[in-house]
Amino acid sequence: MQKLLDVLASGIHDSKNQLFLAESLVAAYENQHQADLGEVRFAIENAASRLSRSLAAYRLLRDGAQLAIVPVIIADLVDEVALAQRAHLSKQGLRLALDCPVVDAWPLDRDLIADLLNNAIQNACRYARQQIRLSARLDHEILILRVDDDGPGFAQLPPASGIGLLLAERIASLHQHQGRCGQLLLGNDSPLGGAWLELRLPT
Amino acid sequence: MIDYSKRRFLVIDDQAQARDALRAIAQTIGAFSVEFAANYQDAIYRIRNNTPDVILCDYLLGEGRSGQQLLEELRRFNLLPDESVFMMVTGEQSYEQVVSAVELVPDDYIIKPFSPDKLLLRLDRIAQRKAFFGSYYREKRRQNYAQALAILETKKQSEAGRPYRFEILRQQAEVLLASGETTQAEQAYRQILDQHAFPWAKAGIARSLHAQNRQSEARAAIDDVVRDTPHFFDAADLKAKICMAQGEHATAQAVLDEVSRKTPRNYLRKRLLAEAATLNGDSATARTMMADVISNDSMPGAIAPADRLALARSHLQAGDKLSTEQLLLGLRDSEVQNFTLDDQASYAALLALCVPEKGRARFSGLRPALLDTALSTPARIDVIRAALGLNDPKLADKHAAQLMAGDEAKKIFGNLRALYALHGREVDFRELQKQAALQRIHHEETPPAA
Repeated sequence: MQKLLDVLASGIHDSKNQLFLAESLVAAYENQHQADLGEVRFAIENAASRLSRSLAAYRLLRDGAQLAIVPVIIADLVDEVALAQRAHLSKQGLRLALDCPVVDAWPLDRDLIADLLNNAIQNACRYARQQIRLSARLDHEILILRVDDDGPGFAQLPPASGIGLLLAERIASLHQHQGRCGQLLLGNDSPLGGAWLELRLPT
Repeated sequence: MIDYSKRRFLVIDDQAQARDALRAIAQTIGAFSVEFAANYQDAIYRIRNNTPDVILCDYLLGEGRSGQQLLEELRRFNLLPDESVFMMVTGEQSYEQVVSAVELVPDDYIIKPFSPDKLLLRLDRIAQRKAFFGSYYREKRRQNYAQALAILETKKQSEAGRPYRFEILRQQAEVLLASGETTQAEQAYRQILDQHAFPWAKAGIARSLHAQNRQSEARAAIDDVVRDTPHFFDAADLKAKICMAQGEHATAQAVLDEVSRKTPRNYLRKRLLAEAATLNGDSATARTMMADVISNDSMPGAIAPADRLALARSHLQAGDKLSTEQLLLGLRDSEVQNFTLDDQASYAALLALCVPEKGRARFSGLRPALLDTALSTPARIDVIRAALGLNDPKLADKHAAQLMAGDEAKKIFGNLRALYALHGREVDFRELQKQAALQRIHHEETPPAA
């Protein structure tokens, strides 16, 4: 099993290096010609994220999976997700609102959580009418990261479980603190009128 | 917003295309001066000669080297000021596992592919953090540890310090450890562990306990870290040091042998492996390792007299007097005269053992100094070996008694006993051991002076 994982990881690593070459060429072209090829770069980064997500799913859905926990400044995490998504959303006519009153750093797996939030916003983007909101707050020693939209909501709750959702639930539950596990919650009664997704991490 | 056109960038990657890609991204955010390093040596050379403001370094550098190893060497040899930015660039998600575990971390890491905007965001944040810690870096560099700790304490209490609370705690623990405040360092690491069980903080506790000579507790702590994070190689080094302090030389050697295979170009680790092998009586491995270190460790100024003496010692231990002689007599007199007393003692002792007619006079000349001075442990062992061989029991017993009474007694006990046995003096050694034990009990019963 480990050998198969190594083969997959190596192939994905090579592909991501190639995608980075592509993105750097696009960036250099934009720089020289004052062009905006943000959507091309967005597609390249999306392809890389999906590769990473597949590998993460394979790795994390097995027993004995380990996260890579580092202290993360929550406002920085929110800004970074916004940076990755905002231009693409605005091309779709959607606005991304941010609300992050959390000042401190918290221990979490930065890349997995960022990917989870990016993916949640991408899903919301398919249904939202005008607005998506990404927020972070603390509630009784729980860090809550939340994505709201103003779309029609999930057709059914719980929604049909795809790999993204399965992985998100696993990532949540692997974040543990003093015997408490993280949780992933979904609902349809967002103040914006549509669906919401909440990642609740014990701190 | 920072003007990156005035900052000097260094891109380190063994692949030409990848270097071009990183340069293109750096230029997009405004960089004007972007230098390249195609390999490890080239990188060290450029960093030493003209320290860059921003280093973008790929994790995989080829030839058995990694960006992580480069970073560790730069930090250990103080080649990189805290003000310079070291950003690890990687397509390997496995690097996240490394960076979340180890003690020596880059300022940040970024996973390929990434946009110029994302790099800019990350670099701006690092700049903010470095500005926040600026006054602390200056005091730390001057080794004004008390002042550095006072600055950190003030920062910890400040509102602006809230996003950096883990970094502040980590720096406090490291400074306490570096300044020898090992009990306080242990407390600081425990405070971090209350927040999250970071492997580097557990290793910090093991390091603090090791420095306090609380070896069994240190061992229990480090065993956990090595088991849970096998890619945290420095933890394996620390485990080996603790094992050696406990006298478990075979375990130390096995641990180092395993990680050394995974990091074939890490010469500090090979030195440690040679030390463990020597203590373990495996002179063949010790010779191979030290010969490799001396021929291949190309860090400038890395080969110290102690390295040549370690190789000479392992030749001698293997019974190869000819190689020992060649190596020792190959050292220039002017060089030997500039040795520290520890190295001079080892040199004279080893020479006296392999070529008595040439070495005996030098060793006798040093004898008054050797009788009166506290030497390093390897030098003491060399002196004891030579003194026993030259029938000078007074000199041998004096150093043996001091070693047995010291913190490293368990580490060298087996070797000393074997040396005494070789000269038919087991009974005398047992007496030395008894005296040291009595002295220890007496010392422990004496209340500390008020």
